[in-house]
This record gives sequence, structure tokens and C-alpha cells, in this order.
Amino acid sequence: MGFCIQEAQFNAILKEWQKQYHIYAPKVYKGGGRFSDTDCIRYGEISQINEIVFDRKSQYSFKEILTPVSQTLFYFTEGETKEADGPRKGAVLFLRSCDLHGLKRLDDMYLQNGPADYYYSRLRENIKIVLMGCGHSFENCFCVSMGTNQSTNYDLSIDRQEDGTYLADCRDPQWNRQLAEAGCASQEVVPQYVTENAVRVTIPETLTAEAADSRLWDQYDSRCIHCGRCNFVCPTCTCFTMQDLFYSENGKVGERRRVWASCMVDGFTDVAGGGSYRQKNGQRMRFKVLHKVLDYKQRNGYHMCVGCGRCDDICPEYISFSNCVNQLEEAMTEVKQK
Amino acid sequence: MIRNDYIPFPSRILEVIRHTEIEYTFRMEYQGEVKPGQFFEVSIPKYGEAPISVSGIGENFIDLTIRRVGKVTNAVFERYAGDLLLLRGPYGNGFELSDYQGKDLIVIAGGTGLSPVRAVVDYFSEHPQERGRMTLISGFKTPHDILFRQDLKRWEESMDVILTVDCAEEDTACQIGLVTKYIPDIPLGDVKNTAAIVVGPPAMMRFSVQGLLAIGLPEENIWISQERKMCCGLGKCGHCKIGDTYVCLDGPVFNYTKGKFLVD
Amino acid sequence: MDINTKGLKKNAFRITKERGLTASRIRVPGGHLDAKYLGKIQQIAETFGNGTVHITSRQGFEIPGIPFEKIPEVNKALQELIDGMEINQDEAGAGYPASGTRNITACIGNRVCPFACYDTTAFAKRIEKAVFPNDLHFKIALTGCPNDCAKVRMHDFGIMGMTLPQFEPDRCVSCGACVKACKTKSVEALKTVNYRPQRDERRCIGCGECVINCPNAAWTRSQKKYYRLTLLGRTGKKNPRMGEDFIKWADEDSIIKIILNTYDYVKEYIDPNAPGGKEHIGYIVDRTGFEEFKKWALRDVNLPDIAEVTTPVYWKGVKY
Repeated sequence: MGFCIQEAQFNAILKEWQKQYHIYAPKVYKGGGRFSDTDCIRYGEISQINEIVFDRKSQYSFKEILTPVSQTLFYFTEGETKEADGPRKGAVLFLRSCDLHGLKRLDDMYLQNGPADYYYSRLRENIKIVLMGCGHSFENCFCVSMGTNQSTNYDLSIDRQEDGTYLADCRDPQWNRQLAEAGCASQEVVPQYVTENAVRVTIPETLTAEAADSRLWDQYDSRCIHCGRCNFVCPTCTCFTMQDLFYSENGKVGERRRVWASCMVDGFTDVAGGGSYRQKNGQRMRFKVLHKVLDYKQRNGYHMCVGCGRCDDICPEYISFSNCVNQLEEAMTEVKQK
Repeated sequence: MIRNDYIPFPSRILEVIRHTEIEYTFRMEYQGEVKPGQFFEVSIPKYGEAPISVSGIGENFIDLTIRRVGKVTNAVFERYAGDLLLLRGPYGNGFELSDYQGKDLIVIAGGTGLSPVRAVVDYFSEHPQERGRMTLISGFKTPHDILFRQDLKRWEESMDVILTVDCAEEDTACQIGLVTKYIPDIPLGDVKNTAAIVVGPPAMMRFSVQGLLAIGLPEENIWISQERKMCCGLGKCGHCKIGDTYVCLDGPVFNYTKGKFLVD
Repeated sequence: MDINTKGLKKNAFRITKERGLTASRIRVPGGHLDAKYLGKIQQIAETFGNGTVHITSRQGFEIPGIPFEKIPEVNKALQELIDGMEINQDEAGAGYPASGTRNITACIGNRVCPFACYDTTAFAKRIEKAVFPNDLHFKIALTGCPNDCAKVRMHDFGIMGMTLPQFEPDRCVSCGACVKACKTKSVEALKTVNYRPQRDERRCIGCGECVINCPNAAWTRSQKKYYRLTLLGRTGKKNPRMGEDFIKWADEDSIIKIILNTYDYVKEYIDPNAPGGKEHIGYIVDRTGFEEFKKWALRDVNLPDIAEVTTPVYWKGVKY
């Protein structure tokens, strides 16, 4: 059902939701940017609708809600382990279409690739999705190329209007009742989505792992600083590393946790005894890019990259993932000629 | 309810067998299905986990041959028979004995690469009727690095064993030279009915496979086992991914027809 | 020709080596100005001067070759610049009311530079508003971060931006970028403990390299801005020396108060017979002792709790 929701009505609804759910949305962390007097937009808990940032893209994705940056798996004492507590509430996530497609990739990784992941499932099982419509494309977005510009698997969609009201399409029966009871005017609503981006990406049909032999990657040996930002902001990157630590000098108590890892950062492939693979930044770039637009599809049948463009937004060295992908056609021609 | 695969179970050390200064086999109490070539995540709280392949399988135990190379393995070496270690697993596909049964078998192992394949060699040593002619080429850096000396002696009785070291200062009972040196001399029957397993460091595996192909073995008769950083063993952490393959789920044992595409 | 040179100098004109010709000095607090004022400066230089402009070592402009008799006209022309740069003035159209306290210089700061910890120009303007006009010979400079591109240690008051890094452990990905950056580009105040950085508060200089290099916003800047205040650096014939640390983790208000207090101190203790009424503050402090200076400087100053005051301060430098 479609509704027009007034700001006050929305805030009352959020208050109601908070009884059962944590509500996460992109919001401003004032002064939280890398540089002095700059802000960071990333996911955090909100309680008022106007805390949500609609007019800019969040720098980091929603994934940290479902795959926390640092997640304690269990605590240990001398002879015992104790599983870390699970969430007490569910979560309402405000996502744009690209990120909602990203969620499908997280699900496939954590629930389908090997045995289902206990800790992911625990956070995943009780979530609701509010789709944030996109009236226009942001810089570096290429969702249309990746086919992620539109979503239908939401519980509620919202589009912020000039006058401060929100047009919403609700697909959850309970929320439908709630919105009607709150007195929200009903009207026909189709969530906004973009049909065109300034950036277009073409993934060659002929792409194979042989692209690894192209000279394309060499430029990144020196351009890339292997900081991993592209991975950390990506809604589809899921790698982690296990860490054990102890809390005190006597070392009797500690925890095992998993922490985000990046295939661009040193140490990712280190094996016991000092060996490591992909030491050059260009090789790491190749590994990441081909994962997003080749390997994943071979395994799952569709591309991993959702075209949110956050990797391009954040790269301090102005390396563009989309531009790299657009060079793959040429790279394939090059390796075929060898 | 989904099972929590991350919580390890305690397992008692039944025996510690010293091979070299830095390589011990820990015989661990274990009951359950396990195949040669599979691996366990071995941990000591506070130090972390390390993926260790199964080097031997018994009725109530598994052998884990561990090289002392880092924080976790250092800590493991401080443990003795009777102490507990934490385990998760077994993970990975392991070697399918049926792939080799009824065939001539060549096993080429470089250094600690002998560990994951040891249980296969052991099985066919004890069940010679299940295979044809068998050759083991086992290479180590120096005589000090040789693992499973007693096993190697025992295996000699039922198969051709070539024990070789890359270099040796003193006179030694074993051969000197890289494992690849001996490949052309392997007595061959019908190459179509000959299987080979190659396990070891990347360069050693590459050249050994080349050697096997050169003497006429078909690609599909060759199996390799890949070593990667396997953090979770569950196909989640991403560290062991090569191309579209997760070594911990799809491997670590690969038929060469698939394995040849695993290039970093 | 009858010219009161004292009055002329106070009015920000110079006695030059060429008889009858002066040069007009234009203040640009913080060294940043709207580009339109360059056109005005050009016009003055071409109308009244010799058509050239010197960019001064204190980030102002000096227009040479102006005949003394043109001073009133130049002062009228300067009004647009004085207004535009919000310089305190006694009487409109009369030019600059003082020249003793020099233009307040600054590096480009956080309007442009990624390393800067604050808006140097804005703070420079705030100081200018508080201290100008004043005949006492004070040199104040601001720099955005401890790189000190503005060379503030060569000034009486050097202000260096600092940020108090905030660490959110649960956002840390153990990549080591902060530890490495701190070690290679700064003072090695970070070390890794239990996979995460541990900050040595005593060693940290608040440069913000950890924040700049953190890929996951685990390190962020403090909401409050902090400064290192260095004291009494100087050039000159007798004893040039670098300014020494006085306060680490000072705040903006305290710095302004300390500078104003120092004017009172100098008024009290300056050598009445100093040549041209000009004496570097450092020589006065040498005479009164540091404790007396500190007593005056810190009067009614409320420093942040984390501020560290160095006392006494010792200077080195070259003595002739």
C-alpha cells in the first residue's frame, strides 16, 4: 500500500519500531571525516527521520550492521568457552537499491558458501528493510550497468519530498496497518529509482581469468597504496581474519573475534612460515576486480559488484574501479594476442 | 537452528612424536569421519588458530604434524601428552582413496608436503593389493629436515621410495637433488592407469607436475594439494580464495584439470 | 620636505633608501584574501607607485615608489582593502593605524591542506581583531599542523594545530596503517597491542597522521581543536633563536588571552630607552626572568584539563 507520511508521523512510527528494532540509517558523523572540519556519512542508529542523510551517498555501506567490523565469537577462560551474546532486538535497515542488492550477496556468502554462518544468521534473521529511493544518481554510481538500480524486496520504500513529507510503499502487512492507524494518507506510490548513471560499465562477455596476464594491472603497482579503503567501504566485501586476544598479563581470560580483512592490505595471504601471495599492488587490484566481475559470477551466477561506486568515492589515490573494469575488454584483446 | 561452527572442541594429546627440532607430530584423541588431506583448525586460546592437515588416521586418533613457525605453533609446542588442544574440523575435501585404487600410484612430496599425503601412503602401504606399483619421491631441504623417517623405512618394504635432499654437507643415506630429478626414472606401466599426487611448495609442485606431464601422465590423473591461509575453514573469511575457488571448501586437494587454473 | 618619520612608520609606510619615496605595507591576516583585492593592489601600485609590488615575508604586500605627498591619496585608496580584510581602524580613510604588531601569518590551513588541523586563516583573523592596532613589536604566526610549514617557531607566538585523536576500537581492522604512519612520518607514538594501536599520550604530538591514514574511520579527530603554543622565537642581530614549547594542547581562547596578557607585560617591562621603542619580547623575558613572564601571561587563563605547560622555558639559539 502507498502512503504519504508526515515527518511527525514518521517519528512516531520510528519510536514504535524502536521497541522491537534498532534502526540503522546513513547519518552524519560531524567532524568524523579524515580531514579537519569534514564529516563522515556512515550507518548508525537513528531515532528521528531527519537524522537520515538523503542528499548524499554514505561513504561506508550498511554491511557493518550485519557483519560488524570486529565481532566477538566467544570468550574463553582456562578451560571453557562462552559464546558471545546475540542481538536482543532486530534491526530496521534503511538501504538504497544498490545496497539491498548488496545484502543478497552477503546472504549468499554467509549462508550459502559453505555451511551457514551462525553469527551472521543471528543478526540477519530479524531484519526489516526500508528502501531509500534514488531520485538521481550520485557521482561514481553505476548501478544501472550492474542491474541493481531497482529493488522490490523491501518492507517499506520511502522517497523524501521537497515539502518534508515522505512517499512510501509498504509491503509488510503489519506496517501497513500501523501506517493506516497513524493516519498517513494513502496514495499510489512507486519508489523512485534511477535509469541512467553518468558512469557506465561494460564487463566483456569474453572475460576470463586470463585477463590476469594483461599489462593493465601494472599501473596499480605504483598508483595503489594498498590501504584497503575500497574493500572496507564495499557493501559486498566480506573477508575477515580471526584474532585471539587476552585481557590481562596473567592471560587467563580472553576472546576470539573476527575482524574485517582486506585483500589489498599486507598480510592477507601470509601463510605460516613466511610465504605470501600477490605481493604487488597490481596483483591485488587484479584479484579484487576479477572477484567482483568474474570469479563471483562463475560461482554464483551473477556479478558481485553492485555499482555503488563507493570504492571510487573513497580512493585517496583517485583509482577508479569502474574505469579499470572498462579497460578489461582491451586487456582481453591484449592477452589473446600473446 | 544453525550450528555454531566456530566453537572448537577440546582434544587430548595422546603422544608427541619428534621428527626434527621444529617439526613434531601430535597424536590427538579423535573419533569421527576424517579423510587424508583434510585439515583441522588447531588453536590455543589467546594465541589463535592455525590450519593443520591430517597426517595420520587411526581408530581413535588423528595425527597432526606441526611445524613450529609462528605464534600458535610455538604455543602448541609447549604442550605435552595429556594436555588439551582445541580443534575445529575436519575441513576440506581430502584425498579420495577411490581415485587411486586399482592404479599405479606416484606420490611426490616436498618438505612438510609429506604430512597431508602421509595417510594416503600409509593406507596403500598397508593395502598393497588395492593398487598397482607405487613410487614415493620425498624431498627435503637437508637431512636435518627429514620427517617420518621410520615411516619412510617401513614404506620401503612395500613400494619404491626415493628419499632425497636438496643439499647435504655430510655423507648421507639418502639421495641428493630436487624431487623433479627423479621423475624421468619412475618405472612406468600404463600411464593411463597411473595416478599421481603432488604436494609441496608452489614452485616444487609446478615443476613436478610438468615432469609428470612430460613422462606422459594425463592431466586428469594428477592431483595436487594447495596450501593457503585458511582462517575459517568454512568458505567465509576469503583468505584462501583463488579465482572462483575456495581452497578450504573445494580443496585443498584438486585434480590438476581444475588445479592448473588456480594461479595467484 | 618636512615629514614626521615616526608618524609615517606608524601609518604602515616605510622610509626607503630613495629620498622622497615611501612604500605602503598592506596587511593580509592569515595570508588569504579574496582575489578581487589583488586588482586594487595593482591599481594602487600603478597609480601611485612604480608599478611593482613586493610580496612580503609576512604574507602582506608592499607597494614601493610612492612619493610622500601621495600618502593621503594612497590611504584613501587603501580603505577598500582595510575594510575588505576587516582590519581594525581608528579613522576611515586614514590608512593603517599602527605597524608595530606585524601582519599575522599563516599556512594555507584546512581550507585546502589535508594535514591541517584547523582553519588557520580564520584563527589568524580572530587574533588580528583582538590585537590590532598595536605599536608593540609582536610577531604572531599560525600553522595547521606540526609540519610547521609556516615556520612559526621563528615568531614570538607560534601556533601549531593539533588534534586529539579519538580511537573507536570496534572500527579497527588491525591493518597497522596508523602505527606505520606514526612511525615513519611522525613521532612513533603508536604501538600495536592485541592487534590494535595503543597511543602513548606523552609522545603524541596531535598531528593527525593516524586519522588521515586510518582506512575505516577508527581514528577520528577530536571535536575540540587544540594547539601547541611556542614562545619567543626570533631573528635579529644579537641572538636569533627558535621558539620553544610553552603549552601543548592549548585552546583558542587561552592563546588569545595569553597574547593579550603579554601586551600588558611588555608595556610594564619594555626598556623605555629601546631604540625606536622596539624591543623583542624575548630580551624582556631574559631580563625579568621566565617566572615573571609566566605570571603575567597566564593571568585569568583557563587552560583545558589536558593542557601541558612547560616551565621554565629555556631557549638556545645563536649568540653573537
